Amino acid sequence: MNISKNWLCKYVAIDCGLETLCDKLTMAGIEVEALESSGTIPPGVVAGRILTRTPHPDSDHMSVCTVDVGKETLQIVCGAPNCDAGNVVPVATIGTVFHTPEGEFKIKKSKLRGVESQGMMCSERELGLSDNHDGLMLLDSALELGTPIERLFPGDTRIEIEVTPNRSDWLSMWGVARDVACLLNTEAKLPEIEIPECTIPAPGLVTVEAPDLCLRYTGRLIRNVKVGSSPKWLQTALESVGLRPSNNVVDVTNYVMMELGQPLHAFDLAKLSGRRVVARRAKSGEKITTLDGKTLTLEPRHLVIADAEKPMALAGVMGGEFSGVTDATTDVLLESAVFFASNIRATSRELGISSDSSYRYERGVDWDMAELASKRAAQLILETAGGELGSELVDVNSGRPAEMVIPCRFDRVRALIGTSVSNERIVEIFRALQLKVDQVSATDCVVTAPLFRHDLEREADLIEEVARIDGLDQIPEIAVTGKICASIREDAYLPLETLRNKIIALGFDECLHYSTVNRESALADSRFAEADLIKLKNPISLELAIMRPSLLGEMLGSVERNISRRNLTLKLFEIGKAFCRNSELFPEERFEICMALTGLKYPEQYSDALQEQYDFYDLKGALESLFEMMNIKRYRFVPTEDGRFRKGRALGVEVAGKTAGAFGEISSHLTKGFRTTYPIFVAQIDMATLLIAAHGAGYYEPFSLFPATSRDVAFVAPAGLSHDDVLAFIRKEKPTDLESIQLFDIFEKEGYKSMAYKLTFRNRERTLVDAEVNARFDKLKESMQNKLKVELR
Amino acid sequence: MNAIIEKINVALKEAESKAAIAADSVAIEQIRIDYLGRNGLFPALSKEMGTVPPEERKETGRAFNVGRNQIQALIDEATNRLAAKPESASNALDLSLPGKRWKFGHKHPVTIIADECANLFRRMGFIVSEGPEIEDIFHNFDALNTPMDHPSRDPQDTFYFEDGRILRTQTSPVQIRTMESHEPPVRIVAPGRVFRRDTPDATHGMNFHQIEGLYIDKNVSMADLKSVLRTFATEMYGPKVKIRLRPHFFPFTEPSVEYDFSCIMCGGKGCPVCKNSGWIEIAGAGMVDPAVLKNVGYDPEIWSGYAFGLGIERLAMLRYRIPDLRYLYENDVRFLEQF
Repeated sequence: MNISKNWLCKYVAIDCGLETLCDKLTMAGIEVEALESSGTIPPGVVAGRILTRTPHPDSDHMSVCTVDVGKETLQIVCGAPNCDAGNVVPVATIGTVFHTPEGEFKIKKSKLRGVESQGMMCSERELGLSDNHDGLMLLDSALELGTPIERLFPGDTRIEIEVTPNRSDWLSMWGVARDVACLLNTEAKLPEIEIPECTIPAPGLVTVEAPDLCLRYTGRLIRNVKVGSSPKWLQTALESVGLRPSNNVVDVTNYVMMELGQPLHAFDLAKLSGRRVVARRAKSGEKITTLDGKTLTLEPRHLVIADAEKPMALAGVMGGEFSGVTDATTDVLLESAVFFASNIRATSRELGISSDSSYRYERGVDWDMAELASKRAAQLILETAGGELGSELVDVNSGRPAEMVIPCRFDRVRALIGTSVSNERIVEIFRALQLKVDQVSATDCVVTAPLFRHDLEREADLIEEVARIDGLDQIPEIAVTGKICASIREDAYLPLETLRNKIIALGFDECLHYSTVNRESALADSRFAEADLIKLKNPISLELAIMRPSLLGEMLGSVERNISRRNLTLKLFEIGKAFCRNSELFPEERFEICMALTGLKYPEQYSDALQEQYDFYDLKGALESLFEMMNIKRYRFVPTEDGRFRKGRALGVEVAGKTAGAFGEISSHLTKGFRTTYPIFVAQIDMATLLIAAHGAGYYEPFSLFPATSRDVAFVAPAGLSHDDVLAFIRKEKPTDLESIQLFDIFEKEGYKSMAYKLTFRNRERTLVDAEVNARFDKLKESMQNKLKVELR
Repeated sequence: MNAIIEKINVALKEAESKAAIAADSVAIEQIRIDYLGRNGLFPALSKEMGTVPPEERKETGRAFNVGRNQIQALIDEATNRLAAKPESASNALDLSLPGKRWKFGHKHPVTIIADECANLFRRMGFIVSEGPEIEDIFHNFDALNTPMDHPSRDPQDTFYFEDGRILRTQTSPVQIRTMESHEPPVRIVAPGRVFRRDTPDATHGMNFHQIEGLYIDKNVSMADLKSVLRTFATEMYGPKVKIRLRPHFFPFTEPSVEYDFSCIMCGGKGCPVCKNSGWIEIAGAGMVDPAVLKNVGYDPEIWSGYAFGLGIERLAMLRYRIPDLRYLYENDVRFLEQF
């Protein structure tokens, strides 16, 4: 919404600077978003009469003029065609500074092709008054020479404000002026609105068939108008708020809308079949072509203003193509109405048409203003287009709505705002806002909200008015006390934060991806079928149409993006929500952990040892470390067959007896086109399953202070024997005092593999003697040979 | 002289020459293992002591002790010699080679700010609550006093599902869920993802993160709200930052305010980031609307409170001067590893 400072000044005296005004507006909730000054003519530009004009001796198109600027006569070289002797024109004298978008521009004494020039005569464009640059601006020849031009054309400032949806009353100069007056402790005054009395009845001129949608319709006839251009002041006013002048009648309706906030429409009476209007619901399939040339097919949910036959306007939104006032118009039907806000909003949105009128109607207009605005428009039409009133005001309405009567307790105001604002000040603020205040007692008062304040319904709404006008800067800052209302154990994010920090400690970089994905990304995770996906009904695009069922697809997307940018070493993770429709698979929303690993282990690669690539065991080790960090003891890796992973390169993860996820080398069908030679490993773990199993560290466990003894065993075994088999076997044999089993060598050859383990023995109470360890070790070796069927080396 | 003493003498000579040429700690350790280690010479000899005739025992014992001490002395001497000796040129390291750096992980900037906010508010007595991202109309709009035809409900602005539910457009439904399940007083913050139907560009994403705050108790005023926000601002951006509250409008608070921080870039003098206003809008806040309290069964005559919400991406972009929101969701490691 644009406000013009000059226009605003017609209703309220502004005795402060622009900056202060804007600050006050912003701090009162009328946020100033931008300022644009126009037509500010710099001091130094004065009226001057051209005395003589002679051709420039050295130029075909320039002239040398002498110009009387009152206290002196200047010689000025000029290129304008109309610098004829006798003309009174604006003259920028030496020292004048113009502020242009390109920067400052100072008028200096100079020589043009050898002839001295002591200033510059100006066009309208050069003064920023219009785009006219055909020649010098011609001033009234009776003007006293030397008069500063800025006095004739005071500059204006367009103030762009943000109007919150609750304050439709700020969508007019008058509405803003009311609040400005309150902020500046002064009074706002409307101009005198007077029209000749006219009592000519106009029966049947207005019919309202849909009183639920058209709450009030006033019509007034004005006959014998002369349609033409508006006077300069009217055009300037409209331009000052960004409206384009049209003809005098249309300009008046726009002017009054901007002035009073009441949208108006002027119909050409001659074009109304039956010379009347009907506010009715559209018939199903009925068509209208609007002013902007769109043809719309309407339904009964849309309100139209029709003549005896057809819709002539989409009520409150836009006039019909041929309903409006043109140069040929003589008789005008002036509409000033109140429509049901929600209906206008729905229509405007549904049909994709909005206008200054619908903008105001959908936020709600002032029931009382309809009448006054009609009168104001009639006054201005008579003034600018002539003619005479053709009828009384025909006012069809379903009754004036009741005003809200709101009790207000002074203590409550102070308690909620947190200031000690006095009873008197509270009442003063209400009255300054033109609210009616009655029954003022020592404890409370009763406020009646005028119909232009749709936002005032309850005590809290009144409290906001006090806070706003008294000033939010009046609210004191007090000591912050951290009252504890719930235990930190109920904190929903601490476990997640702890988990995240641990994964970061393992060297993974955190990613964030959008929650919505395309179909291909969603189905990259083979655990999910089409029917498991949750799809948006109104996505922005198919690329962002499906709630991600897992974090895999987007994670692979980021891996690919990085690889294509030649970031080949990646250690990424995300903890985020994934969504699933199939409750047998997963709850609707769950947090998933997704980790991805690829590339080289060390950033430095100057020795062979540093060239090592990340492999399956790195990711497995990361998970094992994570479980250890979280003190999860009950986990195991189980075989898994899964479309996500390369065959034989993946494991499932069970935590506390529950499936928690899987990890492995990503299947090549998911990495087609990735420009890398390094394998890519991914883990996907359900966060809740992990967190349930996680504990803080348990009790202290005593450890032995006596030395350990170790023995090595090496053997050849069939290739099918796994490390897990060996561990399980040795553990089952339960050699006394066995502390740990460590695989320290493994290689495979011709269907067999050679494995070597270091077994460490230790007792808590004493030093073990070689002989006893040897006996246990020999017994174990024997049973490995006999039962595990390995060949000792 | 018996056989043991002889062995000791031989061993001493041997050890002496070995110690003299020992070039590194491995060679020295080998000497220790050979003579003094568990399976070394001296433990073995001590087992033979029993075979020594009684009259020779004293002498043999002394020789054993002296020998053992001398071996230890040789080891110590060689160790000291090695320690004192400068490294030969051929063993010198190129100390300028790069260190073998540890790959450490990085927290995403959005998470850094979210965690920081959560912790600032935890210190002020708040705990974190959460709620679902697929939300129903009641919690996201109705209970928050949003008019039936409010534009935010429009499918143009909000993502809908076939079953009529939506992707939450704000973290405010967490307020409702928390109040529904808890008796007052309530003091929570709720960080989380929210969704708006915006085409992703430099300042918009189809999802972003907010942190919501709610405090309901007896006698809570706007002064409490202002003070908590002031504390947040100071903790986040230092003591110099100024804050101001501006009246605004939200359906779920009354009075409603927007709050601004003095521009972090220019300190309030005016710059392109603050559009020359000197202020940066951080978020919305206000006193919880009595209608909202009624909707969750709290009596607005007894309980009052404030709510606030701020956008985390915006704070992160300001803190790190990130010009484009999309960088936050692109996950280029050259970006991620800066934080």
